Amino acid sequence: MPTFKLDGKTIPFEPGDTIIKAAYKQGIDIPHYCWHPGLSAPANCRMCLVEILPKAGQRPLSLDVLELDPKTGEYKVKQKPKLQPACYMAAAEGMEVAADTSEHVVRARHDVQEYLLLNHPVDCPICDQSGECSLQDYWLLHMKTQKRMQDEPVHKPKGVVFGPTIVYDGERCVMCTRCIRFMSEIAKDPVLDMRERGNLNEITVAPGRELDGHYTFMTEHVCPVGALTTKDFRFKARVWFLRTAPSVCQGCATGCNAHLDYDPRYNKAYRYRPRDNEAVNKYWMCDEGMLSYKEAHDGRVIDALVGGRVAPVVKALEEARSLFAGVAPTSVAIVLSARHSLEDNWAMRELGTVLLGSKNVYVSGRPDGYRDDILIHRDKNSNARGVQQIAPGARPLKALLDDVAASRITHVIALGADAPVDPAALGGAKLVVVAAHAGPLVPLAAVVLPATSWAEHAGTYVNAKGMRQVSEKALEPLGASKPAYKQIAELATALGYEPSWSKLSQIRSQLMGTAGADAPAPPGATVVA
Amino acid sequence: MEPLDVELEEGELELPAEPMHLNMGPSHPAMHGTVRIVLELSGETIVKADVQIGYLHRGFEKMCERGTWAQVFPYVDRLNYVSPMLNNVGYALAVEKMCGLVVPDRCQWYRMALGELARISDHLTCDGAMAMELGAFTPFLWFIKAREMVWDLLEEETGARLTHSFGRIGGMASPPTPDFKGLCRAALPKILELVEEGERMLLKNRIFLERLENVGTISGADATALGWTGPCLRATGVPYDIRKAHPYLKYDEVDFDVPVGTKGDTLDRFLVRLGEIRQSKRIIEQVIEHMPDDGPVNVGDPHVILPEKNAVYTTIEATIQHFKLVMEGAKVPAGECYSYTEGGNGELGYYLVSDGSGTPYRVRIRPPCFQITGGLGKILEGRMLSDIVPTFGSLNMIGGECDH
Repeated sequence: MPTFKLDGKTIPFEPGDTIIKAAYKQGIDIPHYCWHPGLSAPANCRMCLVEILPKAGQRPLSLDVLELDPKTGEYKVKQKPKLQPACYMAAAEGMEVAADTSEHVVRARHDVQEYLLLNHPVDCPICDQSGECSLQDYWLLHMKTQKRMQDEPVHKPKGVVFGPTIVYDGERCVMCTRCIRFMSEIAKDPVLDMRERGNLNEITVAPGRELDGHYTFMTEHVCPVGALTTKDFRFKARVWFLRTAPSVCQGCATGCNAHLDYDPRYNKAYRYRPRDNEAVNKYWMCDEGMLSYKEAHDGRVIDALVGGRVAPVVKALEEARSLFAGVAPTSVAIVLSARHSLEDNWAMRELGTVLLGSKNVYVSGRPDGYRDDILIHRDKNSNARGVQQIAPGARPLKALLDDVAASRITHVIALGADAPVDPAALGGAKLVVVAAHAGPLVPLAAVVLPATSWAEHAGTYVNAKGMRQVSEKALEPLGASKPAYKQIAELATALGYEPSWSKLSQIRSQLMGTAGADAPAPPGATVVA
Repeated sequence: MEPLDVELEEGELELPAEPMHLNMGPSHPAMHGTVRIVLELSGETIVKADVQIGYLHRGFEKMCERGTWAQVFPYVDRLNYVSPMLNNVGYALAVEKMCGLVVPDRCQWYRMALGELARISDHLTCDGAMAMELGAFTPFLWFIKAREMVWDLLEEETGARLTHSFGRIGGMASPPTPDFKGLCRAALPKILELVEEGERMLLKNRIFLERLENVGTISGADATALGWTGPCLRATGVPYDIRKAHPYLKYDEVDFDVPVGTKGDTLDRFLVRLGEIRQSKRIIEQVIEHMPDDGPVNVGDPHVILPEKNAVYTTIEATIQHFKLVMEGAKVPAGECYSYTEGGNGELGYYLVSDGSGTPYRVRIRPPCFQITGGLGKILEGRMLSDIVPTFGSLNMIGGECDH
């Protein structure tokens, strides 16, 4: 691999990489606002300027500049190297680049930062970006001096509603144009643009349009400052109180990698942020996915139900035992869930096929929905491929409805409460449901046991491409809920069996032998099947 | 009254031969609510004194590990709470040592002046309380009156009488007030007058002297072996004072003596403290001669020093600086250091470990009291029960710093 030198360090690069991208891949951050690894480079923020040292024997590329001599008060002609934007300059073999070590670069960063802050409002205390803002970080790293401008700053529109999800603040904007480029390059909907010039610049929505569609949250995510905020997260939390867990989006079969930000003090999830993964979602997520963090709290089953009424879990387990007393295994059906983790499904399959001895395995999930060519998958279940891997013979829920109607099946244990079709016919059977979220099966169930959602216990999910991905625990279990594999183990005990598992690690070591990956993926990693 | 008509065998009314157990403190007023001594008594003689500390344990070192480096200042205020300024300055010096910062001259002089004022307050409290516990209430009032003057001065400077939280990494919370020097010049002679008046009442009092002399004696070698420092060590004749032995701030540029005792008894400890009050006065007088009236008090490093408040409210640069320092804290380079100063009771050491973040990884304190209290049981053994009060009083055990 060819290499170049950055501040004396050898940096390998692939032909075509820019200096900043090659450094980024090595974990070295050249300060930048407008550059984003997933977008084109307009080189307009000038923060990433670097000095490219001339080759031996070559004349340096330099500029004549006038510099004020503070002693005499006169200007002197001096020479200064012409700095280059690292986001635009392609790396070349043997190139020598000076960034932190060049006094000209240090000065340029200071001055660029000073310009960017000239008209910036004093908003940190009320700004949602505060705590994760590039302006703040770079001030302390690269500027460190106080304001010199005495004039009133330029005022621009604040609180401009761009659409159903996004609010824009013109004064905070540094005109990096990342949002404009995201909308045209990734979302393929060039609805944003820039108007006016110089310090009157502002971002604007195309006339007659608003910023809508399926990828509006990403404009806020790429914004390096607090100019774009989402209506959803605006004024809800201060980011330094949030902790984060590597998670996997449950919205569809794409399985986008995400950071789930939550506040441990209130045991509450506040937002999703995309987690970079070149193999799955690159740097992006869709709006539906970004909002799906809410499912950690909304529409949850957090209490046991017996005949539709809240009851202690012990009561519910007793009820389940009396329902299943003396039932022949052939008339018992097991329903796996395409929305629960591999571990949960494994436990359910174990209960049905090994302990109960039933051969009737079905699978449920949400019905298909909207799809596009960017990220959104038709299949709205996070683990359909996973269920297929561990139970290849599982039949769709519709087949179960027929079997119940024909009285071949009289007793059903289901994981998850979703159904792709109207499940009313299931009312003819005795139904026990272990579910994290309320769904069409809950009203039909004689007994419902509460399970934790993906946010409350670690789980492995297999996406549409067959990649096993691990989502880590963020929140503590809500209400009486427990991880489904534990709830299933308790149900098995109540039914008079001895479950072979009690811990996640036991299930994972069992899972290693099944089709798909060789081992459960380490936290946050993706394993390609 | 009729005589007792029961025949008693000889010796039956004698006290039992095994030692009596007596629990002194923590609620005993002379134990300051912070220590308990379990005594084995033979008659009135102490056979064994088991000193049990921990009644003021707050988990202070652990608390320091969850805020920023600057948020430790209020905690160290509450170590030796009769001389918080010395703790503040000691901690600031320790963090500055890790950051490689040296504060401007004006700040060094200012820190010395405030620190010596705190030392006067510390010694006045100790000697005054000791006299009071022996029944001499009037000198106590005299000493406390003098201490009030010190506290008035500190209040003028810091806004708080007791827990100032005035130290900062790289400087002080605010520069000296314009009247500082004048107030010092006016207050110091009055403080000394009160000290001398109180002293006259005590040192000519036969009862007071008899209760202190040759009580709670310890040799210099024993005290050193126990790790004693400060006035209690110097009372044994060992002239170890960190301000002289390892000068910090500007202590090598001022003239002062190290008062020492001869016998290491309670009276010596009482007298050494009185001597140090006079030396502190001497130091402060020199400091206010040397301290420049203008110039910066804080280092100019935006990584550690908060910007001016009016700039924070009006400019984004200062807001960002303020925000970074308050929410993330000043970043202290990864590493460890031990920094020690002369506190009110002796060597006050801070052992700090940083992982390079804005939060201390470990703040370990070496409080002078801990070692000194460790020797209390030893010097009480063989003495009378009534000797506990002056002996314990002369050690100036402060639960806030001892229990850690």
